[in-house]
Amino acid sequence: MKKLLLIAAAFGLLIGCKAKSDSIKIAVALPLTGDIASLGQGLKRAVTMRIEEANAEGVALARSYVPLPGKIELVNFDDRSDPKEAVSVANRIVSDPNVVAVIGHFNSGCSIPASRVYAQAGLPMISPASSNPELTNQQLSPQWTGPKSIFRANTTDNVQGAYGADFVFKDLQAKRVAIIHDKTSYGQGVAEEFKKKFEANGGVVTAFEGLQTGDRDFRPLVTRIKGTNPRAIYFGGMFSEGGILIRQIRDLGFNGYFVTCEANYDPIFIETAGQAAEGAFVTFLGSPPELQPAAQEFIKRYKARYPNEVVKSYDHYGYAAASFLVEAIRWEGRDRQKIIDFLHKTSFDSVLGKTQFDEKGDTLNKTITLFRVANGEFKPHKK
Amino acid sequence: MIETIAEQLVNGLTLGAIYALIALGYTMVYGILLMINFAHSEIFMTGAFVGCGVLVLSSFLPPSISLLLAFTLAPFICGVLAIAIERFAYRPLRRASRLAPLISAIGVSIVLQNAFFLWKDDFLPVPTFLPAGSVQTIIIFCSLLMMIGLWLFVNHTRLGQAIRACSQDREAAGLMGINVNMIIALTFFIGAVLGAAAGVLYSLNYGSIKYNMGFVPGMKAFTAAVLGGIGNVPGAMLGGLILGISEALGAAFLPEAEWKDVFAFGVLILVLILRPSGLLGERTAEKV
Repeated sequence: MKKLLLIAAAFGLLIGCKAKSDSIKIAVALPLTGDIASLGQGLKRAVTMRIEEANAEGVALARSYVPLPGKIELVNFDDRSDPKEAVSVANRIVSDPNVVAVIGHFNSGCSIPASRVYAQAGLPMISPASSNPELTNQQLSPQWTGPKSIFRANTTDNVQGAYGADFVFKDLQAKRVAIIHDKTSYGQGVAEEFKKKFEANGGVVTAFEGLQTGDRDFRPLVTRIKGTNPRAIYFGGMFSEGGILIRQIRDLGFNGYFVTCEANYDPIFIETAGQAAEGAFVTFLGSPPELQPAAQEFIKRYKARYPNEVVKSYDHYGYAAASFLVEAIRWEGRDRQKIIDFLHKTSFDSVLGKTQFDEKGDTLNKTITLFRVANGEFKPHKK
Repeated sequence: MIETIAEQLVNGLTLGAIYALIALGYTMVYGILLMINFAHSEIFMTGAFVGCGVLVLSSFLPPSISLLLAFTLAPFICGVLAIAIERFAYRPLRRASRLAPLISAIGVSIVLQNAFFLWKDDFLPVPTFLPAGSVQTIIIFCSLLMMIGLWLFVNHTRLGQAIRACSQDREAAGLMGINVNMIIALTFFIGAVLGAAAGVLYSLNYGSIKYNMGFVPGMKAFTAAVLGGIGNVPGAMLGGLILGISEALGAAFLPEAEWKDVFAFGVLILVLILRPSGLLGERTAEKV
């Protein structure tokens, strides 16, 4: 009997806890461990900083009639860059009624399946990095039943792939190109966009081959591709493979151009490649923080807040995404649908410059920046 | 065409030599304890980290001396680490069910990986001073040297004889006056020395290291050990080389290079169907 009472009391306590909490939460779902953990951790720092600032300012409501707690809480989730893990994280997130929005995921391969879970729950999601066009395009399909709740702060791979293809074909005058991708939604996606545009320009794609992420030995693949006589090699994938890949490409004596996409814009790419990185071309979505005039103040505060860390190349996207949400919560409170509507109709000034979302949640700011590696640094390159 | 094939063979041989070195660690431990030491891939990773650390710290010395230092210190430290792992994570479980040390090994692997993750969550560049072409030659040469050395040690010394005796029958060997615990520790030490040396070679070859770098080569090396007949020392060497070369040739001749692993594992399946105990494995029913 005593035992029963105890159990009943414990249950009562649990229920009591549940009923009392009425906090506003933003879920952050990023790769916090795994191959690209450093980028996920950087984004998490940027988002945390923005929310800390918002809480210090006080989340005063300009318009909402619903009384709100003065603080926004962050809940962090790790998707380990793994689509399966991303879906399970998404399910955990939607089960918490206090979560009003999600910042994430990083990899397109994670964002796309997870976005469906969020949409089912009517939960707005802003990806700070996924660039596969499919992520937002899927909302236009007739099968899409949820609200148009998916947004992304960065521009997309059809813009980036086409830019790269034009650059290789017209500016580098390389008419034969071999394409390598990492078989992820992101890497293969951007490689396919590149291929489409390059072939439309009249170029020849001599090889289109995938590699395994996490692998370190690409020599057999490179030897094979070299045999098809390309003038340039395009790589769609992340710096974790890109740096090692270009090193092995140069080791095996390929002297043509190497062009790759924004996920290789990371100092680690140059560090792992060493001398071999020299002359590599990298396209970047938008502008990296150090070249974005609106982000200079952000960089200063970031360095003050995290003195031992460097600003990673996506961090300003995370900071901007958090800013959009803080703004939305200030105006609309905790209502998920109202937050979605607010994101659709508002034009934001942030560390990214101007951001306005189109009807499917993509930013209208479609700048691409081109870099060339020289003396161990990424230098902006004029075509 | 001939040139491409030759280049692919060199690629495969380099990869295979590294697999073989790691596979030796799996196979020797299995030979004595009938246990798969899943922490071995983390020994390999630790070896790469220690080697890289030595290279960075001794960069004021001439390159050849600093390389020599890396090749002696990293294997030695990892050898000691492996003895410690054996003493604290496996020995207490030696009389437990066979699954217990296996789980313990996975635990050690997770602990080691996370220790390095906490220290550095990203790639670390390895200082390079070897000319690009020479690394592959050095790898093939060093691994062959170590494998010959191991073969001589196991077959032509008293300690080697003791190791072989333990792998045949641990209890009988103990009754004959062999210090079984010492021999088991020695086996772990030798396996770790080879694994750590492979780690250093690997990091020189790829120019960067990371806390989770052990997983893929570890899996492949384990496969190589099974292919050659787990528990059998020359089998591990043969299995490693066959796996490396079939990967490279698979990448060269299959319609898509990404099928190289399919080809390599296809070879494994074929061998296991025809010879369930591996290429050089003995037909013993109990070592399943």
